[in-house]
Amino acid sequence: MTISRKCVPFTPFERELAKSTIAIVTAGGVHLKDQEPFNIADELGDLSYREIAPDVDSANLMVTHHHYDHADADQDINVVFPIDVLRDLQSEGFIGSLASQHIGYMGYTQQLKAMYEGTAREIANDIDKASRADAVILTGG
Amino acid sequence: MKGVPTVLITVSPEVSGQMRPPRALYPKGFKIGNSLGRPGMRDLQKKVMRDALSLLTQNTRPGDYITIEYPEYGEQYEPPRVKKL
Repeated sequence: MTISRKCVPFTPFERELAKSTIAIVTAGGVHLKDQEPFNIADELGDLSYREIAPDVDSANLMVTHHHYDHADADQDINVVFPIDVLRDLQSEGFIGSLASQHIGYMGYTQQLKAMYEGTAREIANDIDKASRADAVILTGG
Repeated sequence: MKGVPTVLITVSPEVSGQMRPPRALYPKGFKIGNSLGRPGMRDLQKKVMRDALSLLTQNTRPGDYITIEYPEYGEQYEPPRVKKL
């Protein structure tokens, strides 16, 4: 892998954090326990993603990902998917609100082109249209 | 699409830096799987999150990452390196 020569997709942020809606997008393989787990049997990786509501009980979230040690996330999902942290920051007035949709996907793939041109765009569209987020926090494992 | 501002919290700065993220925070020495800190360390998790979100309003250099130390994290880990071909 070499340094990306693509233009850095920098979008200016021109709002106040205290009035902003924030979404989380994680590559850490996070999903609801009653959602279909990511397919770790596929050696090429799973290109799908899961939508997570802002009022989710963090105890109902889990990780399916076999390319990092998620024992700590199994104890406290906030170490990779900081949904309770975001709620605390909302209570403190540091941010305005939680976006109406957050995303979990499995950040391992051998299908880079399909991830970059397919999944990543679908997630960005979801965030833009369904989530109504002013900004996004991205986390890996 | 108008574009959405993003901030990446990365524990593999050299690896993710290759993709030149628009804004990124590296909490120094955090291990993979601990992007926000350790389980139950809510105050630390909040601090990391506040620092990451604050990058939205700061003059950062697109494609670069900011390193911040959090001594309360405890034992530190070496981040993965990019293999030279």
